[in-house]
Amino acid sequence: MNDEPLIRVMALHAIEYCERLFYLEEVEEIRVADTAIYDGRRFHEQLPEYVTLEQFVLQNEELGIRGKIDCLRTQQGMLVPYEYKKGHARILPNGDVLAWPSDQVQIAAYSLLLEKHLNRPIMEGRVFYAADHRTVSISIDEKMRNQVMSAIARAKELRASTERPPITANERLCARCSLAPVCLPEEERLVEQVGRDTVRLFPEDRDLLDIHVTSPGSKVRRAGNTLLIEDKDGQKRSFPIEEVGSITLHGNAQITTQTIHLCANKGINIHWVTGGGHYIGSVSNSAGGVQRRLRQYRALIDPELKLRLAKALVIAKVESQLRYILRLTRGSEVRKELESYINTIRDVLSSTNTANSLDELRGYEGSAAKDYFACFSRLTVDDAKNGMAFIHRNRRPPRDPANALLSFLYSLLYRDCVQAIVTVGLDPTIGFYHQPRSQAYPLALDLMELFRVTLCDMTVLGTIHRNQWKVEEDFIQAGDQVWLSDTGRKKAIAAYENRKQDKWKHPVIGYSLTYARALELEVRLLEKEWTGKPGLFAMNRIR
Amino acid sequence: MSSRKMYYLICYDIREPKRWRKCYKLLKGFGERVQYSVFKCYLTDRKLAELRWELTKILSNEDSLLIAPIQQADVNRIIYLNMNIDWQLEKERFRTV
Repeated sequence: MNDEPLIRVMALHAIEYCERLFYLEEVEEIRVADTAIYDGRRFHEQLPEYVTLEQFVLQNEELGIRGKIDCLRTQQGMLVPYEYKKGHARILPNGDVLAWPSDQVQIAAYSLLLEKHLNRPIMEGRVFYAADHRTVSISIDEKMRNQVMSAIARAKELRASTERPPITANERLCARCSLAPVCLPEEERLVEQVGRDTVRLFPEDRDLLDIHVTSPGSKVRRAGNTLLIEDKDGQKRSFPIEEVGSITLHGNAQITTQTIHLCANKGINIHWVTGGGHYIGSVSNSAGGVQRRLRQYRALIDPELKLRLAKALVIAKVESQLRYILRLTRGSEVRKELESYINTIRDVLSSTNTANSLDELRGYEGSAAKDYFACFSRLTVDDAKNGMAFIHRNRRPPRDPANALLSFLYSLLYRDCVQAIVTVGLDPTIGFYHQPRSQAYPLALDLMELFRVTLCDMTVLGTIHRNQWKVEEDFIQAGDQVWLSDTGRKKAIAAYENRKQDKWKHPVIGYSLTYARALELEVRLLEKEWTGKPGLFAMNRIR
Repeated sequence: MSSRKMYYLICYDIREPKRWRKCYKLLKGFGERVQYSVFKCYLTDRKLAELRWELTKILSNEDSLLIAPIQQADVNRIIYLNMNIDWQLEKERFRTV
């Protein structure tokens, strides 16, 4: 008896399809059920009446595998295992009907299990394809047996490794693969073939509801499979759990243990933010991800890689800042006034390329930020009459409404960055640019730099210029500090969340997606810097 | 890889209280009840497949199930008597409570 867990026969099916799929599902334990998988499960629940489904659960230590046989029948005195598939058989141009290679290995593995169990030879297995109503017979010969044994050996080998195998060469497999949005094979192919037309395998939208609970004294409860949110006046609202993507609790809102359990079970993230807008923490049911973390640690202790990533990050940020200022001042008189700032930012950008250390980069970033916020200040001069002028960046605590708003949106962005990193299964505590601190996750701060301009700065300036703020109503002055009021907070959340839904075309990847999805995409591309093909991280720019 | 959503009217007839209860509870997690044993759900293809699978695990041969997709264009042509349902086409992605 050894301690190694048995390999599922379904996993052998996966390994025959694509080694990377096997690795992601069986080793990294990333399982994403898509439409086809649910349809397959339902098909097995609803087999036609003439099939008496008796599932035989078998396992064998010697072979090292376990599996469930759909059905067993006797044909001319011989026992024959059956496997039911909802799809089509493989039909060759000459009209021959075959089972797909991965299905062959699967049925052969069942046959070997059965052989060991009954201690009598099994010479044939059959696969029934429901879509075209055909049964294909597979003879369990020496060749088939060897194929199963080598698949088992390969599975054991891959299980012991921490490296993800490369993407498959056969791109047609990827279009039907349930893990394509995790694996992102098309994006990797892009690195090799620049200008290639990428097939979108990454959903453009998140499709789930992000709930913000802002009213003080609200309570989030579970009622069956719904979330019940009750405010302090007793008004109740319910949300079907399958529609919810995340819950953010602002200030003194309560959530029950039962709800936390349900959310953990459904993969819904819960975030806590103080009434003043400081991020406190999150609960998320992050999958094991040992291999992912090991690879991340190994990669991010390499000073050269850290510098390269940090450089890409700072260039992306400063270039976004520059382009945004240029966009705002296009064809206006203000451009001349800001010329000197714009030129300094340009100079910083070109010297960033030659930076040799993280400290040097931080210097460049800081100097660009100073000039950028100086431009911000000039661009809000006319908003002083509404009390929304941005005189200079100040924080901890923010001392004017514009800064309070900006700080609050940065907190929301930080929350989204943590969520994206945890969803992908990386560890937010190990970053490459920001200093390790106990207060905040460095990797989340790193990722934030890519989205500060597009998601926060643009939202702040846009709403200020559209006169959407009423200083007396939306902000509270408490001594030196300025906070958002209840109404102000709701407005800010709406502005930020709506901005996240804007679609935008990634200049390198070549397809458009919402910013909400872009956050996760960036983390997946970051992981590719050390797992797969580097060169795609921090390539996003504003136009 | 479409993430397009669509409305479905899901109706069932279940002959046994225990199964009815389970089914009711499951559907509450996917959408909104509009009448006894009638739900409206706004689902992607993937969610629909998931729901159908969960339902087949609960239902038995004597129960019946009807899932009617509602095209966007037909939403405005639905006829009501003594009731009204809100069929928002573009559902919001966030809610502040």
